[in-house]
Amino acid sequence: MANGSKIVIGIADMKMTNQGSELITYALGSCCGICLLDPNVRLAAMIHIMLPLNMEAGRTNTMKYADTGIRETLKQMEARGARKARITAKVAGGAKMFAVSGSGALGNIGQRNIESVHKVLKAEGIRLIAEDVGGSVARTLSFDPATGKATIKSYGKQDIIL
Amino acid sequence: MTIKNYQELNSLEMDTLREIGSIGTGNAATALSGMLGCPVHITMPEVRIMEFNEAIEWIGGPEPVTAGVLVHIGGQMNGIMLSVQPLEFINIILERMLSVSIKDYSQLAELERSALVEVGNIMISTFINAMSNLADMKVELTVPCLTVDMQGAILTVPMAEYGGQSDYLMTIGGNFSCDGHELPCRLILSPDIRSLNFLLRKLGVEDG
Repeated sequence: MANGSKIVIGIADMKMTNQGSELITYALGSCCGICLLDPNVRLAAMIHIMLPLNMEAGRTNTMKYADTGIRETLKQMEARGARKARITAKVAGGAKMFAVSGSGALGNIGQRNIESVHKVLKAEGIRLIAEDVGGSVARTLSFDPATGKATIKSYGKQDIIL
Repeated sequence: MTIKNYQELNSLEMDTLREIGSIGTGNAATALSGMLGCPVHITMPEVRIMEFNEAIEWIGGPEPVTAGVLVHIGGQMNGIMLSVQPLEFINIILERMLSVSIKDYSQLAELERSALVEVGNIMISTFINAMSNLADMKVELTVPCLTVDMQGAILTVPMAEYGGQSDYLMTIGGNFSCDGHELPCRLILSPDIRSLNFLLRKLGVEDG
């Protein structure tokens, strides 16, 4: 079990723990939540990304984007003793909140986020062991580093445990 | 002056946007009043520039479930307009329009949902019409769309749309009251930065 205290991850945010505390991020819409865990060193991280690719020049908010967010998190995890070969990932989010007809980019942001997360994880050699993505409902994602279990709560649906 | 970031808005520009908020919500209040059959007043319109997580706190936390009606603005201006309707507001509408009330969002059937879309749509389009008349702009609106879900996720829709341009969300909006009771409905306009510049130029505040 987690140590009781929860660590909350905001939007475009990342937090890491080796204390076994539960990590939680609320209301993922088109955003994606990514849980990374190296069980050997008991180091866990959760990222809440909002957009697929960082194309801004001179921007400092790396955790807003799937590509720079995941890479920077892996770098920080490695600096604390984790190894990419052992790190596993669980992903949730990427929903389409409004069934907008005929609009381009907006409806696709969720899908593009999912694709970008997949691509970056693959390129970095991280195993994606479970996911609950897409659809049209918001998700609250919590992750218990001690058991490696991710729990997804949605409005009007049963909890999903990954 | 062309701004690149919401934080660069000066006080004259902020005042202009607040005025747009005032005229827009004023017109929306009149429309709402017609639908509900009671006088509706607006409280101080507000223009807010908030960091993402600050915006989530402002709306009342990420997890509470609300109904959101969303319209995309196109034409000479790009943006998103949202009408965020909590349960109390929904019940005021449903009682007045359909003489029903609900305890839970799951009780929203097709008729109730379409009433909410219509109320949201009318408020949004009167707001936008007032604004586009004022600034002499041609603006198009998409078909409104309703979703019932965690409000944090609803609010991230405009954030994600303009997230590539800014770490901040700008909202122009206001609150309503009816018979002395607050109508907890938020009307939120989030233009992109280019449209914001265009709007301010159209209104003659470029030399501000």
